[in-house]
Amino acid sequence: MNLLAMTIHLPVPGVAAVVTAQVLGVLLLPPLLMSVIAKTKAWFGGRDGPPWLQPYFDLLKLFRKGAVYSHTTTWVFRAGPIVSLAALLTATTMIPVLGPNSWLGFKGDLILVAYLFALGRMFTVLAAMDTGSAFEGMGSAREVTFATMSEPALFLCLAVLAISTGNLQLDDMLGTNLAGAWHSVGPAMLLVVGALFIILLTECSRIPVDDPLTHLELTMIHEVMVLDHSGPDFAYITYGAALKFTLLGSLLVHAAMPQVAWVGLPGALLWLAALMALALLVGIIESTMARLRLNRVSLLLAGATVLSGLAVLLVLFNKLA
Amino acid sequence: MIFLTSSLLVLLAGAVLAVLLARHGRAGLMVSLVAMVLGSAGYVAAAVGRWIDTAAPPQRLIWPLPLGAPTLTIDYLSAWFLLTLGLLSAVVAVYSWSYFSVETRSTRATASVGAVLCLLVASMGVLLCAGDVILFLVGWEMTSLAAFFLVGFHDEDPAARHGAWTYLIATHLSSALFLVPMFALLVAVGGWSFAGIGAALGVQDSTVRVLIFALGLAGFGVKAGFMPVHVWLPLAHPVAPTPVSALLSGVVVKIGIYGLLRLLMLLGPLPGSCGTAMIVLGAVSGVLGVLYALAQHDIKRLLAYHTVENIGIIGIGIGVGMLGQTTGHPLVALLGYSGALLHVLNHALFKGLLFLSAGAVIHATGTGQIDRLGGLAKKTPLNALLFLLAAVAICGLPPLNGFISEWLIYGGLLGGTIRLPRALPGVAVVGLAGLALMGGLALACFAKVFSVVFLGSPREALTAHATPRLMLGSMSALAVLCLLIGLAPSVATDLIAPGAAAFVVTPYSTSAASTFDAILAPAGHLSALLALLLALVIILLLVRHLMIRGQIVITAASGRAGTWGCGYPALTPRIQYTASSFAWSLIRSFRRLLWPHKHLVVPAGAFPSGDIRAELSTHTNDIAQTDIFSPFFKGAAQLAAMIRTVSLSGHVPTHADAAIGEDRGPFRTGWYSLLSAVRRGSIQVCVVYVAATLVLVFMVETAWQPRSGGALVERTAPAISMSADPSQPTARPTATRGADELNHVLPGATRP
Repeated sequence: MNLLAMTIHLPVPGVAAVVTAQVLGVLLLPPLLMSVIAKTKAWFGGRDGPPWLQPYFDLLKLFRKGAVYSHTTTWVFRAGPIVSLAALLTATTMIPVLGPNSWLGFKGDLILVAYLFALGRMFTVLAAMDTGSAFEGMGSAREVTFATMSEPALFLCLAVLAISTGNLQLDDMLGTNLAGAWHSVGPAMLLVVGALFIILLTECSRIPVDDPLTHLELTMIHEVMVLDHSGPDFAYITYGAALKFTLLGSLLVHAAMPQVAWVGLPGALLWLAALMALALLVGIIESTMARLRLNRVSLLLAGATVLSGLAVLLVLFNKLA
Repeated sequence: MIFLTSSLLVLLAGAVLAVLLARHGRAGLMVSLVAMVLGSAGYVAAAVGRWIDTAAPPQRLIWPLPLGAPTLTIDYLSAWFLLTLGLLSAVVAVYSWSYFSVETRSTRATASVGAVLCLLVASMGVLLCAGDVILFLVGWEMTSLAAFFLVGFHDEDPAARHGAWTYLIATHLSSALFLVPMFALLVAVGGWSFAGIGAALGVQDSTVRVLIFALGLAGFGVKAGFMPVHVWLPLAHPVAPTPVSALLSGVVVKIGIYGLLRLLMLLGPLPGSCGTAMIVLGAVSGVLGVLYALAQHDIKRLLAYHTVENIGIIGIGIGVGMLGQTTGHPLVALLGYSGALLHVLNHALFKGLLFLSAGAVIHATGTGQIDRLGGLAKKTPLNALLFLLAAVAICGLPPLNGFISEWLIYGGLLGGTIRLPRALPGVAVVGLAGLALMGGLALACFAKVFSVVFLGSPREALTAHATPRLMLGSMSALAVLCLLIGLAPSVATDLIAPGAAAFVVTPYSTSAASTFDAILAPAGHLSALLALLLALVIILLLVRHLMIRGQIVITAASGRAGTWGCGYPALTPRIQYTASSFAWSLIRSFRRLLWPHKHLVVPAGAFPSGDIRAELSTHTNDIAQTDIFSPFFKGAAQLAAMIRTVSLSGHVPTHADAAIGEDRGPFRTGWYSLLSAVRRGSIQVCVVYVAATLVLVFMVETAWQPRSGGALVERTAPAISMSADPSQPTARPTATRGADELNHVLPGATRP
């Protein structure tokens, strides 16, 4: 239909330089957040930890390497990392990261975002199963199990945001638009933030759901699915995992900080600080908690679903009253 | 309209010619399939004509029946279903040629299958365009019968006979118990034509309309396959020949949805409880359907359960539409109905493709048992690609068509949570959570099927034949349509808008059209973002290509790189995850809903004897079948046996019973000998029996006649009592409206 009518939110000066700066800022951010987590864990362990820019060096190193493809695999294995990262990059255009607005948001984009995450997951799982390895099958089975359980929680959280702002466009459902909701149904918003945090830990394979640093394939979920990827493919996967953390973290941060109406550079710095604080929190959790037993994870996710369901009830009752 | 009638004629001619040419090799099959392609093309043309020539008058068949002239009309709703039918059946016809021409059964059997396929397509066309009750029921019955013969094509197989009979019984029970009473009510209210019924229903009491809706939901629900009346689907789909399964799942099941939508269009806005029931039913069907699918080991049976799931999604869409209609929110109603309608077409496309692709797998390997397959992507790469596209589509993932319809339904649900009054947003939230859970489970299920069947290494040494070109060509057409709708959704939403709007406003004016265009406008944004997705895929592909620069390591110690086995060198295909192991963690999480059986044989002792092999099998029974229908039909069979033999034991009397036994007096002995004579087929006894029954009937009839007071009043009595029965809580006690109604039912009953 009318493609030109798409709402592209640009800051007032609207020059190419600003756009480029925004895009570059968002795209360069994810490895830095991983670095924050690593530094936090190192600090808890009494170590210095890797340099701040180590994740970037790792990506560069991987890009310069060749790739090993098992003879069991087909084109699906090679498509997996590419489709996953492309889906996440597309989702990036609809989520506000370092500012109050997304780049290419439209009415109903929240569903597209959720299903783009699912598309990435589907191809990661298929690529893992393509290797014919028992370990990767195990990781895939766990991944789809936990993702299935976190999906209703995510949609219930989105429903709460939609009901309390009366909007179906992600950037209009977050930030200052939520100020009224925090004022009238604060408890519901707290529950949503809690549920989103559990979803973040699950989807990004962090402790207590999955341990990204374990050395035993039997206990891993995400890391075991990507055992056979190498070179640029693995760079895509590593970067994609960091990007997914950034995107879900942005959703969480923008839902949790309704009062801030800053735009431009100060706003960007503020959101950056908030995201780094979130990474710090994740790092602290990883340093102080053990991973849950696998059959306990479903209870955690059921808990997230219940939290978000409760939030929906609170918001609906508030609307009735 | 000329396209429709000529299509019907071509299909009938094809069926007749196929039967006539049955002895001449494959000519019969060829002729009928060509007729089917032509007829389907005619359907598509007739449907498209609806959108081009918006003022086409209804066509009347000149064939006066006692109950009025049958009318064929194409409105936007009919046109949409006709388009679905035409697209899928044309592809299935082409596929059928390469499927049935290698069929080992006699050429007469294949010719007759062609003829019945033509009849099936023709009767569905009649049903979809029927403008009155009679034609609708004729089409309904012919569809059921044609589908029965097609499902039972492999009638040497007991499972096929069982599936076909279950289907026939299910569809006829639903007709007898629910649809006939429903249509009787409709006819009593508004005559035989749908237009008249629609006008008369508008002034009816809401109790009557809710009753009609409940009967219709139960009756059409059996055909559509809502839980728990879906039991015929997983029995009939797997045993039918593959093209027939595709048609069954793609369009025959949708006939039930069409009936339901047609009924809703006649009924107008219903109370909120109906929409609520529809959403809950849809959510239950969807979640249970996909959970059962996850537990299946046979690929076609799995796909059959996914049909139940997708019907659930369509049900949620319809429910959202109904709620929007009830509360007067055109946005919610339009999004719900258009999502449901688009999902009807989408499901026909991707489920048709999945069945045809699964058929190609079975054709190639000779088995549909998922756990025996593996690694087919190397042997049949194009089929793997087609299956993957359909799998991505059915999971509702972008950029394929399944996403678009689910996006519309999600939009309706979220819009409902924002806008609906009172407790109804809670209902929308239930639908939302159900749809999200279904999405996750469907992804798990199709990740399982695709990866176990096509990826990894072969689990058994099965020979895999190449897929015939004709099969691949016909399937590719479906895949292209899936991609097209996925990437350019506004084309589809433009076509649906008038059909979905017909539930909300009539007539469809230009101002309404612009409102709806505004509601559906974000569909245009979707294509831009999906194009961005594809562009990013290409960019990332190029980047990787440049970065690797040919440094692909394929030389390991063995000359080729193997899968990383944690240092263990002797990997075998048997250590791969199977479909059962892949799904088990999810099944176990939902074990309180599914009650899976686990059968484990473990060798015992330090030195187990060689003849006990360790084995583990899992099996999940369908709750509806084992806990509702099996006990019910067993009870019914027992009751029938009791009645048949007029004895409480259910023992069938035989010739030996005609003698006076030790425990039997002369009266019972005489009765038994009479019964056994009837059962043994003694003609003279049967004639006496028939004559005695007739006399009895006449006696009852004459005794009854004077009391009821004439045939005319007897016929209209139910309608009068319906409006004037004091026991019914009617909201309109005014005399004038009651009289109006009476006038409507019985012209000239109350003259001024």
